[in-house]
Amino acid sequence: MADEAETQGVDRRQFLKVIGVSGAGAAVLSGCTTERVAKLVPYMVQSEDQVPGVPTWYASTCAECSSGCGVYVKTREGRPIKLEGNPDHPTNAGSLCSRGQAGLQSLYNPDRIKGPMARNAKGEFDLIKWDDAIARLAAKLSSAGGKVAAINGYGASTFSTFLADYVTALGGTTVAYEPFGREAERTANDRTWGKAELASYDFGAARHIVSFGADFLETWGPVVEQQRGFAASHGFHDGTMARMVFVGPRMSLTAANADEWLNVPAGSEALVALAMAQVVASRKGSPLAASLASYTPDAVAKDTGLTAAQITALAEAFAAASPSLAIAGGIPAQHRGAIELCQAVNLLNEAAGNIGRTVLFGTTVGGSDGYASMVSLFDKMGQGSVQVVLVHDANPLYAMPKDGKFAAAFAKVPFKVSTAAIIDETAAQCDLILPSLHALERWDDLHTRAGVTGLMQPVVQPVFQGMHFGDVLLKAAKTIAGPVAKFNDASFEARLKSAWQKVAAEQKAGDFDEFWRMALGRGGLFAPMAPAPQFPASKGAVSYTKPTFDGTGDYVFLPYPSSMYHDGRGTNKPWLLENPDPITKITWQSWVEMHPDTAAKIDVREGEIVELHSPHGMIRSQVYIYAGIRPDTMAMPLGLGHTAYGRYAKDRGVNALDLLGAADGQGFLPYVSTRVSVTRTEDYRKVARVDGMPRQLGRGIVQSMALMYAAKGMTPEEAYKAGGRAPVEENTELEQKAIEGWHDAQLENTKVGNYTGDHPKWGMAVDLSRCTGCSACVTACYAENNIPTVGEEQVFRRREMSWLRIERYWEGGEANEPLGVRFAPVMCQHCNNAPCEPVCPVYASYHTVDGLNGQVYNRCVGTRYCSNNCPFKVRYFNWLKYNDVAWPEPLNLQLNPDVTVRARGVMEKCTFCVQRIRAVQNTARIEGRDFKDGEIMTACAQACPSGAISFGNINDPAAKVVQWKKDPRGYVMLEGTNVQSSVTYLAKVLHDAPVAGRGES
Amino acid sequence: MRKRFLIGLGAVLLAGTAIAVGSRVTSAQQPAPPAGTAVTLTRADSVRLEGPRQPIFFRHDVHAGQLKMQCQYCHYSVSYSSEPGIPSMQTCMGCHMYVSGSTPTNKAEIRKLTTAWGKKQPVQWIRIHELARHVHFPHSRHIFALGPDACATCHGNIARMPQVYKVNNVNNMGFCITCHIERKVTRDCSTCHY
Repeated sequence: MADEAETQGVDRRQFLKVIGVSGAGAAVLSGCTTERVAKLVPYMVQSEDQVPGVPTWYASTCAECSSGCGVYVKTREGRPIKLEGNPDHPTNAGSLCSRGQAGLQSLYNPDRIKGPMARNAKGEFDLIKWDDAIARLAAKLSSAGGKVAAINGYGASTFSTFLADYVTALGGTTVAYEPFGREAERTANDRTWGKAELASYDFGAARHIVSFGADFLETWGPVVEQQRGFAASHGFHDGTMARMVFVGPRMSLTAANADEWLNVPAGSEALVALAMAQVVASRKGSPLAASLASYTPDAVAKDTGLTAAQITALAEAFAAASPSLAIAGGIPAQHRGAIELCQAVNLLNEAAGNIGRTVLFGTTVGGSDGYASMVSLFDKMGQGSVQVVLVHDANPLYAMPKDGKFAAAFAKVPFKVSTAAIIDETAAQCDLILPSLHALERWDDLHTRAGVTGLMQPVVQPVFQGMHFGDVLLKAAKTIAGPVAKFNDASFEARLKSAWQKVAAEQKAGDFDEFWRMALGRGGLFAPMAPAPQFPASKGAVSYTKPTFDGTGDYVFLPYPSSMYHDGRGTNKPWLLENPDPITKITWQSWVEMHPDTAAKIDVREGEIVELHSPHGMIRSQVYIYAGIRPDTMAMPLGLGHTAYGRYAKDRGVNALDLLGAADGQGFLPYVSTRVSVTRTEDYRKVARVDGMPRQLGRGIVQSMALMYAAKGMTPEEAYKAGGRAPVEENTELEQKAIEGWHDAQLENTKVGNYTGDHPKWGMAVDLSRCTGCSACVTACYAENNIPTVGEEQVFRRREMSWLRIERYWEGGEANEPLGVRFAPVMCQHCNNAPCEPVCPVYASYHTVDGLNGQVYNRCVGTRYCSNNCPFKVRYFNWLKYNDVAWPEPLNLQLNPDVTVRARGVMEKCTFCVQRIRAVQNTARIEGRDFKDGEIMTACAQACPSGAISFGNINDPAAKVVQWKKDPRGYVMLEGTNVQSSVTYLAKVLHDAPVAGRGES
Repeated sequence: MRKRFLIGLGAVLLAGTAIAVGSRVTSAQQPAPPAGTAVTLTRADSVRLEGPRQPIFFRHDVHAGQLKMQCQYCHYSVSYSSEPGIPSMQTCMGCHMYVSGSTPTNKAEIRKLTTAWGKKQPVQWIRIHELARHVHFPHSRHIFALGPDACATCHGNIARMPQVYKVNNVNNMGFCITCHIERKVTRDCSTCHY
């Protein structure tokens, strides 16, 4: 091997005691010598449920966002190495989004602090002992005289109840805070129906979905569940599919999956909803019609930029579908008219009769106290009426705009405590940091829906010296005594169990221990959803007023949440930074999106740095030119621009919140409420994009076909011809002959030696009508296959390593055609006539007997001929010692021991997760049986929330993948190259004609 | 654990009476003593024996040879995991709580074990067989195919080794492939390399 890397891969310090015998941990592909002295360290006492070399799975709950998806944690030798969805959990049903999977990188984050820290006289942080830290906390809480405040970002749970009770007992107040708190929807539901709660939505049942700005595939609501439902209804099946329309100023990932994107100006979405409601109500004879009479399509058309005919057509199609679903909310529609918008959509749903069918109440629980409560809490801090503040699982000094001078108010609190495990913006201003435990290290629960509570159990010894904040408070209670003496549980675990004893009694469980064990094993308590059957009629109509914007700039500023970074909590995880934004394909950076016409007008090109000025601040960022945004709007992803929060997040990009005013708009932070002006600078910064050619140029890589043809069972090619388009160029007779001859010659060579006999043959099918481009599969691939993240500089050089990437191609957008997007996951196609194989001089690239395109890393000498010859660009060369830099300790503990970590100079690529195939084959052979269909699943297929990927043995006629491959929509990419690939794509299906069309404009 | 301990204790008691006193072996060649017996060796002898000196002069020839303990008693996961499993300290103590050795050397070495157990510090054995990290060798699959006594195929006759040494270079791919060709089983690269 070219490289003699000496790193051991596995941290042998803290973990050794737990890991015991793990000599064969995932380590660097070292040479063929074993001259160095390796030690075998046995366990002192063998754990009953840890066998070296055999993964142990635990059920737990994801705490990366408030959805609380159920997870299965794969552990090897005491280390969690992969998170997968819990199939029993009603929210995510076995799949998991990118952010959830990246939870491992917050567990093993190298910037987690090593223990409690206190600020010293010089203003720096010192590591202190836990006893000392708890004593300091207890002393301050005792002497605070009830002037205690807590900010809690954790969802409804035993812990949150405990924290609130504890602070109340001390005489203080607790604010439950979530940056994306959906306050406007709550208020709107209260105004419409007198129910200040959120609804659940049944996307799977809806036949016609209209989203007014709600990014339900990215950050709004339980995205995994919504994506699953959306794929079920909008994916082509049985000759039909649902329709989806997106109304809003920017084409987000959600909008890109819509059949139509109606780009109305920010703030006018409510008018479209009201006009639709008016049409629907009058068609259906709903009593709402009278109150909506003034909002006719004709009356609103001018302000929305749509024509009355468009709105009428959309409303009629919406009314005709049963059931339909309209949704509103989310950050991209959180302007000062957000409540009116949500109310308008409530009326639309009610007029269309969706309440109780696709809009379900009585299911959600808890929720945050809202932005207004935070603002008033900070007011109190500024007035000096808070002595001690406890910040748990929240980072308000990042997530609230700097314009509000919240940091100054925070500084007036004499004693500030944070439980952040990584020093974030808020913790950096605190006096005491009590690092809490990660969800995989602690006992906890998370109540996410009526009847659904996820449990968490420690599946790993704490990576650093953290302590559950519940345990900290219980220990402090012993010192404080007095009002909190009643909190006398031995530990938080004991408190959790006693809380669950009440649950067991409610469930009429006989034996608590048995109940507890079952709940832990299953991952919690999952009752089926039981929506409220009775529903009050709505109260009154909506009075629409045009939302106002601060400032006089020419452009509306639209900060939108990134599907990777969420509210900024994802920015410290390299997987999420390297996994490109699904739309722009930009990694590791922030950017300003502007329309090509706007860019031409102010004369800027991609990568030029511009200054955006609003009345509240200024930011500088590079330009990304994007046709999917209105010319009068500029957009920017949220979540970057941290000034702390670890090495990956700090000083990366800019914080879009800096342009916003902090004034509370009716209980929520109006994200879309400023106008900006743009000035050019002389500076330039290359945009770290990973996409190549933006358009397909007729290559038919990501194919699509009209619904009418798909319903008739046509193939994409037949549909193409039936569509009256120019015939596909076909090979000449001579070329055809040459191809056939070559293929036969290739097959002759496969009838010798090892290749004879019965072997399975692995294949994959990808349904593009279900794929939304969310990129969860990409993160799964990184996690499963020890793929290093390479960083921004290497992305500039096009050296990213993602074995599986989502191709994104633009369609239309010119000459009065609507802008469209096509997504397709592209991994190694495992060609049966692979161009990479014959060019390898050392047979590192070869064909396995079971139809895989194998890559033997220890043979590879790095000529890169194979990559040059690959028509799909799915072979990735390891240019540098990424293995030395990609996993600073303890991130390396996440590495999968079953997959070789590749060193410099090696070509690497998708293997169809051969380690998973071999593991199941070994188990099946030892158990004396054949592997079952569905037993072997690649990491991407396992993770996909849409269920768009199917994998299996194509020699088994009963296999699901074979059924998929028989679908007439099937095609193989770049068929003309005659590579005989093993991956079949099922063409995306598009509705025959838009309902609203483009209008006259 | 308790069951395993009892079986082990039984094995020790059955064979414990037959401690034979053989001639002192100082050459590295280690001529085999009669079956069911083991030579008496001191700690100092271990220098001259082949293979690395271990922190404790653990005698595979006594445990596996003379006492006829099954390999899988200690290497417990070999039949169902890719890793054979190294016995936990508790497994050692299961017997050595009661068996303290007969010769001064045995007594001294066993005392090292009990001391380490008392200090809760695992013994750090020197690893002898280590595959390169780009090779995946599932022990279980081989035990399944070749039987529970197949260990010697690769590791040599451990039951005759007072100190374990490397008989075959398991890191030499030719060693693997020869066997795979003889037995007409797969030679596909991706069987082991991924």
